[in-house]
Amino acid sequence: MNSILEIRGLVTSFATDGRKDRAVAVNGVDIDIPRGAIVGLVGESGCGKSVTALSTLGLLPENGRVDAGSAMFGGQDLLKLKDHELRRIRGNRISMIFQEPMTSLNPIMTIGRQVSESIMLHGGVDKATARARAIEMLEKVGIPEAKRRYDSYPHELSGGLRQRVLIGMAMVMQPDLLIADEPTTALDVSIEAQILRLMRDLQRESGTSILLITHNLGVVAELCDSVCVMYAGEVVERADVFTLFRGCAHPYTRGLMAALPRMAMKGQRLYNIPGSVPNLWSMPAGCRFSPRCEFAKESCRQEKPALADLGDGHLCRCLFPLDDVPQHEGDNP
Amino acid sequence: MAKYIAKRILSTIPVLLGIILLIFFMLNVIPGDPVTVMMKEHLKEDVIENLRQSMHLDDPFFVRYFHYVSGAVRGDLGMSWKLHRPVTSLIADAFPYTLRLAVCAALFSWIIGIPVGIISAIKKGTLLDHVSMGVSLFGVSMPVFWIALILQNAFMRVLPVSGVDSWKCYILPTIVLGWSTAGRIARLTRSNLLEVMRNDYIRTARSKGLSPAAVIFRHALKNALIPVITVMALQVSSLLSGAVITETVFSIPGIGSLAVTAINNRDMPLLQGTVIFTALIIIAGNLAADLLYTAIDPRIRVD
Ligand SMILES: Nc1ncnc2c1ncn2[C@@H]1O[C@H](COP(=O)(O)OP(=O)(O)OP(=O)(O)O)[C@@H](O)[C@H]1O
Ligand SMILES: [Mg+2]
Repeated sequence: MNSILEIRGLVTSFATDGRKDRAVAVNGVDIDIPRGAIVGLVGESGCGKSVTALSTLGLLPENGRVDAGSAMFGGQDLLKLKDHELRRIRGNRISMIFQEPMTSLNPIMTIGRQVSESIMLHGGVDKATARARAIEMLEKVGIPEAKRRYDSYPHELSGGLRQRVLIGMAMVMQPDLLIADEPTTALDVSIEAQILRLMRDLQRESGTSILLITHNLGVVAELCDSVCVMYAGEVVERADVFTLFRGCAHPYTRGLMAALPRMAMKGQRLYNIPGSVPNLWSMPAGCRFSPRCEFAKESCRQEKPALADLGDGHLCRCLFPLDDVPQHEGDNP
Repeated sequence: MAKYIAKRILSTIPVLLGIILLIFFMLNVIPGDPVTVMMKEHLKEDVIENLRQSMHLDDPFFVRYFHYVSGAVRGDLGMSWKLHRPVTSLIADAFPYTLRLAVCAALFSWIIGIPVGIISAIKKGTLLDHVSMGVSLFGVSMPVFWIALILQNAFMRVLPVSGVDSWKCYILPTIVLGWSTAGRIARLTRSNLLEVMRNDYIRTARSKGLSPAAVIFRHALKNALIPVITVMALQVSSLLSGAVITETVFSIPGIGSLAVTAINNRDMPLLQGTVIFTALIIIAGNLAADLLYTAIDPRIRVD
């Protein structure tokens, strides 16, 4: 398969105050991002999505460390690169957008300079050229009066506009891969749709592959080609969007789908998977989802399921994958 | 911007008037008749009475306050009772020494404090960090006179320890006066920088592929130094109060020494003059810090 990024067996842990053992936040994750595709990475809060992304780019906080695994990108293992080699890739061939547009821009630097900074760093061009290209990019991501806004400070812009600036900043070098970590969670629903449309348009135009981290399966259905579902630091299901929405095999994925507002009945309370993501130090033995799983059997609590292929590249980490599923009557042969 | 500056300067006037009123009030309840101080007991009753009248000592409090303020506006702070010279000219003679000392100490504290803070933050947890933070804490927590005496003893043979005959005379007083401020600035710079480095926008900067140096100097440092500027305003007052002790210990004829002389002589106009002058300098320092803040931080820029 022609992948732009292949993450294999990624293990990332954190040192925590007052504890000798490290907290393993990501435990053997495999993810493939095909060239030109948009891959969704979903899961509840705290299941390790951000840590996975930060690990591949070497952006973990000080107490974090990659313990094992590889992340092949253009023939190089990102996890083995020296810092200065990785810096040539960051912001240039792989860039990242973060969850919080309100705090992700330097408050005392003009937005224009923050965009042109990348261009000067990686493009090796002079200030005037960088400025012109930055203004062009700001126009492209839909900043009104980009020329004048170039000299604005972040606090003068709304959250939606700031996220556009961040997208512009990330896309300005036309990266091969964009990692977008919940780019719209902090925004209004109406603005969310605009931002997602912008990302898709840019993606179509530039051919950039995208890893879209979200906990909204609705967004995935709309935008992504394939999906990776994570739970408690592990990938539990992987499939292309069509397959997954036709019939997911993991009870956790089914829970996430049931929690989608669209699928809930009108007037009924939104469904939520009972219980919560396990603590990093008290991972259940066997299947990590078993304590919350309505289908769990005795063996689920003892035996750890492997990520198995159900055919057609549909992977699922479950001893008893669901196969009845098509929840919509009629489209099952 | 100009309007903001003008407004800010005008707003200091009532503050200054209030301070003068307060000082005037406090110093006028201290007992000790100046006529007695100057003339001892050699004079007859009626001569004393004449003198008191010529000095307006019997006028009501607010009349005297008004006279004083209207004089002060014209640069007239009265005559020194003991030294028989205009207070303004005494201050004008003394101030250059204090200014030189304070500027040297301020520069010293910035030139030492900020780099030490940055290095400590970068080398957090190492021996270098612990040593520089220890030395900083020492400067912050030791009394000025104590540091002065220790340094005087230690460097007696190498450097002059009193007077103002050459630039060398300023070395020890500068260190004595600047050390605590340098320590405060180093500790603040370090903690602010570490704090700022945890911000989301630093992660953004790193995700662009900037080098660690560019991340620190272009993105983190300016943000970290904004609160340090506040210290500069506080620094003006702590430098001036430290100067009183430093000038006395090192026999530097500055404002501090002048104030001490005035206290010893119960020389009310001189003491009043030096205290009000000092207050004026502190207000000016606060104003300058405010304006600097506004210039650096776009978020509080006013149109
Ligand atoms: N700096 C850190 N130190 C210790 N533990 C951390 C640190 N950062 C993350 N973790 C832990 O790693 C786990 C995964 O966190 P992560 O941020 O990847 O979750 P996420 O899936 O991105 O969730 P969200 O949807 O809330 O962003 C969590 O249990 C979190 O507590
Ligand atoms: Mg996250």
